Amino acid sequence: MFIVTMDPTKCVGCRNCEYACSYNRAGTCSSEESNIQVNFYPDENACIPMTCMHCEEAYCLSVCPAGAISRNEETGAVIINENLCVGCKMCMLACPYGNIHFDSAKQVSRKCNLCDTDEPNCVKHCIAGALNFEEVEEYDGNRKGCDGIIMRALKEGGEK
Amino acid sequence: MHVVIIGNSAAGLSALESFRKENKDAKVTLISKEGGLAYSRVLLPYYLRGKADYDNFFIREKKYYEDMDVDYIEETVECVDDKKKVVSLENGGQITYDKLLIATGSRAVSPPIPGLDAEGVYNMWTLKDAESLEKYFEKGKRVMVLGSGFVSLQAAWAALFKGLEVTIVELVSRIMPNVLDDKGAELLSNSIRELGADLRVNTMTEKIEKLEDGSFRVYTKGNEPFEVDFIVVGTGVRANIALVNGTDIKTDRGILVDEFMETSVKDIYSAGDVAQGPTTFGDKNVIHALWPTAIEMGKVAGNNLAGKPFPYEGSLNMNTTQMFELTVSSMGRFNEGEGDRVEVLDGSVFGGKGYIKLVFENDKVIGATAVGSTNIVPLLGKLRPLIRKKTVIDVPVEKLGAYLHLQIAKSNPRNIMKSIKSL
Repeated sequence: MFIVTMDPTKCVGCRNCEYACSYNRAGTCSSEESNIQVNFYPDENACIPMTCMHCEEAYCLSVCPAGAISRNEETGAVIINENLCVGCKMCMLACPYGNIHFDSAKQVSRKCNLCDTDEPNCVKHCIAGALNFEEVEEYDGNRKGCDGIIMRALKEGGEK
Repeated sequence: MHVVIIGNSAAGLSALESFRKENKDAKVTLISKEGGLAYSRVLLPYYLRGKADYDNFFIREKKYYEDMDVDYIEETVECVDDKKKVVSLENGGQITYDKLLIATGSRAVSPPIPGLDAEGVYNMWTLKDAESLEKYFEKGKRVMVLGSGFVSLQAAWAALFKGLEVTIVELVSRIMPNVLDDKGAELLSNSIRELGADLRVNTMTEKIEKLEDGSFRVYTKGNEPFEVDFIVVGTGVRANIALVNGTDIKTDRGILVDEFMETSVKDIYSAGDVAQGPTTFGDKNVIHALWPTAIEMGKVAGNNLAGKPFPYEGSLNMNTTQMFELTVSSMGRFNEGEGDRVEVLDGSVFGGKGYIKLVFENDKVIGATAVGSTNIVPLLGKLRPLIRKKTVIDVPVEKLGAYLHLQIAKSNPRNIMKSIKSL
């Protein structure tokens, strides 16, 4: 399947992805309404974009006590049915990556559904090439660079 | 091979699904005491609050049982004969098995207070309870909630939300000992009172008197009696283990299982609220009686029933809900004294609001609790793999946000998910 891959070494922290997601989802340009989050650590000089990886064995899906989380058979995306979700937040506690958020207006959990298209909005509006819509098997190229930068930065930050 | 699963909820169904992934051919019989389609008891308070419809309760469709190719029997199991490998039903029927899974769950129990057996006194545990309670959940009714654990307080919040007059009576000095530390309990208690519920701790209920008009007079020690229209009792649950009486299956508070969810008798497995199994902290036999634990145990049992050795990495207790306008969450060991270092943080460190406490032992995080805004819940979620893997966290806690993202970015998540299959 295709997922949104994230390369922190290319991310410039412009938050266009957040605005694109938020606008598509909620009609506003607000970081808080976005399912993708750019985590900006100024001391570490690091930008880490984060969105759902649609895990093969999705823990959120298996523990949802309302049966509200399922897999879209067509796209492979792990999706939340907001009509079934009761807002218990178990999925937020279950996700090891912090990629499930809460829609406070509707009082339900929300997460990336890959926009149900072949080009998710966050990817379309990324100006830095940090986000790509790629086959999952190719997903690990991001690893090294990101590691180096953040680890170095954390160390420096920690020694201050 | 004939596999018999007793129980039609989280653990039983999770086991069935995991089993069927490995074995499509074996005959499987599923026995349910309550009958009907599987429902989720977690949704009870959300239903009473009006957040979920009645239809939402049912987490599996009729077609599911057909797809799983399972013989579905709506009957109560009376006993198990582990020598003859036979399950006896209350209707006199007998079912032989090659492998058995006992996922009979738990039931709500009430304290020995005179008058608690009257009509108008309910637990909040079964679909039937929800149906009985529903008619009482209207504005202006008065309810006493007995107990202040997770279930009781969810009932109380649902009632307050619907405009009922709520009195919560707790025997000991503080609320929610299994979910919150002292400070978290204090914050939640304040919110409960500010929102208008009458929370009475250190209060012993002596007797309940049913009045002629159907309402109740409640007598508590040292206080004036008060009157309510109905009562919700949430004072804990007990494992349903009576069916294994007379067998060689070892029990304590529940059915003792090893890391493969096997009982002391070969070919008999147990999972979910009824099973007393290993924790991530190395305890051998603990009942967590939690939905995620039941799902995990079921998955372990299902694989092992199919002959695929699959050990459980142990239950990690986790709880979360939103009540009284606060989000409360916890996991692992979150009390002072359970570790050697405690870090208390303000939620703003992680872009939220509220109180967060992390407990460490030898620089490994072993638990956390949070009371405040919703957006601090994902922090606990990200800590969960670290608690499980006993990771040493060698950065200052204010760097935790960056550190956790590093942990995630460092590993290819697809590999993470594959390497911790027993999640």
